[in-house]
Amino acid sequence: MEVRAVSDTVQDPSRGQSEDDDLLGSEMSGEEIAHGDALLEVDGLKKYFDQDSGLLSGVSFDPDSFPPVSVGQDHVKAVDDVNFEIRRGETLGLVGESGCGKSTLGRTILRLLEPTDGSIYFKGEDLADLSGEQLRQKRSEIQMIFQDPQSSLDPRMKIGQIIEEPMRAHGMLDDEGREARAKELLEKVGLDPHHYNRHPHAFSGGQRQRVNLARALSVNPDFVVCDEPVSALDVSIQAQVLNTMEELQEEFGLTYLFIAHDLSVIRHISDRVAVMYLGNVVELAEKEELFENPQHPYTEALLDSIPVPDPRESDARGVLEGEVPSPVNPPSGCRFRTRCPRLIAPDEYEWTDEEWYHTRAFMRAVKRRTFEPMAAAEIEAEFFGGDLPRGDPGEIVQRAIELVASDRSAGDGESGGESDAEVIGDPNVDWERATDLLLESFAERSICAQERPAYEIESEHGTETHFAACHLHR
Amino acid sequence: MSSESEPLLRVENLKTQFFTEAGTVRAVDGISFDVHEGEIVGLVGESGAGKSVASMSLLRLVESPGEIVGGEITYKGETIFGLEEGPDGELQEREDMLSNQEMRDRIRGNEIAVIFQDPMESLNPVFTVGGQLREFIELNRDLSSEQARQEAVEMLREVGIPDPEQRYDEYPHQFSGGMRQRVLIAMALACEPSLIIADEPTTALDVTVEGQIIDLVDDLQEKYGTSFIWVTHDMGVVAEICDRVNVMYLGEIVEQSPVDELFYDTKHPYTEALLDSIPRPDKTVGELDPIEGVMPEAISPPSGCRFHPRCPDAREVCQRVHPENKQVDTAEGVPHRAACVKHDAFDVGYDESVPLAKSPQVTADSSANTETSVTDPERGTAGSSGGEGSE
Ligand code: SF4
Ligand code: SF4
Repeated sequence: MEVRAVSDTVQDPSRGQSEDDDLLGSEMSGEEIAHGDALLEVDGLKKYFDQDSGLLSGVSFDPDSFPPVSVGQDHVKAVDDVNFEIRRGETLGLVGESGCGKSTLGRTILRLLEPTDGSIYFKGEDLADLSGEQLRQKRSEIQMIFQDPQSSLDPRMKIGQIIEEPMRAHGMLDDEGREARAKELLEKVGLDPHHYNRHPHAFSGGQRQRVNLARALSVNPDFVVCDEPVSALDVSIQAQVLNTMEELQEEFGLTYLFIAHDLSVIRHISDRVAVMYLGNVVELAEKEELFENPQHPYTEALLDSIPVPDPRESDARGVLEGEVPSPVNPPSGCRFRTRCPRLIAPDEYEWTDEEWYHTRAFMRAVKRRTFEPMAAAEIEAEFFGGDLPRGDPGEIVQRAIELVASDRSAGDGESGGESDAEVIGDPNVDWERATDLLLESFAERSICAQERPAYEIESEHGTETHFAACHLHR
Repeated sequence: MSSESEPLLRVENLKTQFFTEAGTVRAVDGISFDVHEGEIVGLVGESGAGKSVASMSLLRLVESPGEIVGGEITYKGETIFGLEEGPDGELQEREDMLSNQEMRDRIRGNEIAVIFQDPMESLNPVFTVGGQLREFIELNRDLSSEQARQEAVEMLREVGIPDPEQRYDEYPHQFSGGMRQRVLIAMALACEPSLIIADEPTTALDVTVEGQIIDLVDDLQEKYGTSFIWVTHDMGVVAEICDRVNVMYLGEIVEQSPVDELFYDTKHPYTEALLDSIPRPDKTVGELDPIEGVMPEAISPPSGCRFHPRCPDAREVCQRVHPENKQVDTAEGVPHRAACVKHDAFDVGYDESVPLAKSPQVTADSSANTETSVTDPERGTAGSSGGEGSE
């Protein structure tokens, strides 16, 4: 019967959205969520890991649980207070660079990882509260596809068994029914039903990912978490698999959380897009809005740095400076502030924009030690065009320059005639104190460091609210 | 571009094969291209196209069971590889071919350096980054240990490593992926080579880091005038960085042109299909137009044009005639080449030939069997647009 349910759903692909979708994907579940209503809601979700200190790593009892055994220990804040909803029938793209926490977030939603705090409401029920049999039941409604189609398929099993495995685990259908359904699904994902008896090694990467799709769909889920599902595939194969995923979504009324680092893929497949940076969602908006009207400096930087496949598109690419800070001790306030090209000037000083730009650039150059020590006058010329900011900031900058100037010990900042060789590693240059002074006086007094930003703004493209975690919108 | 002047590197009809139990894999099958001074030349293709084997062949770094079996590689007038007929009628290595010793001492690193995708493969985890760089400089340039150390610190700063004196003493694992790649670039530049082969150097990096590295390479290239061969699968990177491009498919170069013409006056259906199949970061594409099928194995390439089982423009003649990579146009004074018989330069009766219809490609077998397919193009398999079935 389940099999018929699937085959009955082959219908005119050109049809518009309809209530049919609700019937299709959810025979297994009780509650009905209308198309466009929240199917999954993530609320204040956190996932911290213990800092892996060789000493303790052997002592853990349950890798899945988060033991408060080690009070005061360092935590890697992989996912830190994330909120969003995913609506029935949509694809929410989740994009970010490695280490931003997007995969951890996906796995925590699936309850493959134990959440540290927060809720994951699926059809109104908090998955974070479920355990044992209840959770197992839910798992048929939520499925996943991972990046590496190679390692996620057991090489000893035949394709048919692989696809039937979840059905068996959930006691779905009898042997015959499962085989019929597996064959049907093979066809749905664009493979030959005759492949039922083959082993995975006979398949290409793209085909293996199709097998994974068939397996995920076998238990008739409503929601599929796709973690970099096409990243390992060649570009021409990516397009094939993406198209198939879109067709399956339409046919079965699926809802996707699509996690990827590739912004082009995200732009193609998503309805709405969430951008993650260092454990936080920094921006979330409809796809067109996010790509055409980004409102968070990190999103802008990301979009700016993608190489566009068009040689005439030679806009000078903005390059994001610096590296992602450690998630053990993330920056206060806005996590992007240590690299943000638009870090807001602290309110307590009177600045011209120019004075602040110069100071900000100098502060970062000192912190990253990107310039060779030189005489105070040279530093002033290089970073401030010879003119230090007026008033308090100017005095602070002056003190900082003195700390890093190569002619510091000479006492007076006029001449810098030493050769480079002698200057390298000059013990008199106190980078650290200069850095502390500048950061404490400026960076840490910015609103960006003092308050965690969260703003809802109006969209220019589309009608949805546009979330941007940036104080530029205060 | 100085097409008349002698190129820095000239590759002619290069063939590299792997002798496996299953048969001979013609990984690189007769490719020709050159690199002029100060140019960034792209070698583009999907996995299995042969681009990495091609680039390793240039340094004679192909390992058994692989072997360069034919062609000629000339660098600054010296022969890196070349064969001639010996007294017994068999091909043998030419007298003027550089010895292994010369390749090691004079060419690799000094003249032609390589940057790989994974810097950890090139860095020794048990020595400090600075120490490795210093030793490399000391060995390859006549510098004292202390001079080499200073040079190493300078190089680290040059490639944008913050606080180089401090980081000099750190180990590779203390560096992020992007920073390690910077170290490799420093190492590649350390001997001021004329040519750098960059094999997917940014593929493993995040996009913002990739942007940083590409910018760095742009700057350094301007400063030192180094030529690059940039091996990649990413058309975005190609558009961003390359001056001229070679597109590879199944061991062959199928299109060769300046970068602008490659994108705006595309001459080979494979290149075109590749460009059509990629999602774009800069605009929303309604539906992707995937290339049908997968690239067949190089062990049993299709007859005629190797792309014909997947080519939307394929006609009967394409199954029979194997197209050379011929000049079909001129762009910016250099030839625009394409290996496709539909261009007039070929004159093999493409216009009169019958179009080949695509078969429903739903088998897991080798795609060699798609050659005979003449069936309904509106194939019926539900749920898959362009299922990559046949391989
Ligand atoms: S809040 Fe401040 S630091 Fe953060 S993105 Fe906005 S301007 Fe930049
Ligand atoms: S030769 Fe024929 S099959 Fe090959 S690319 Fe040209 S049109 Fe296509």
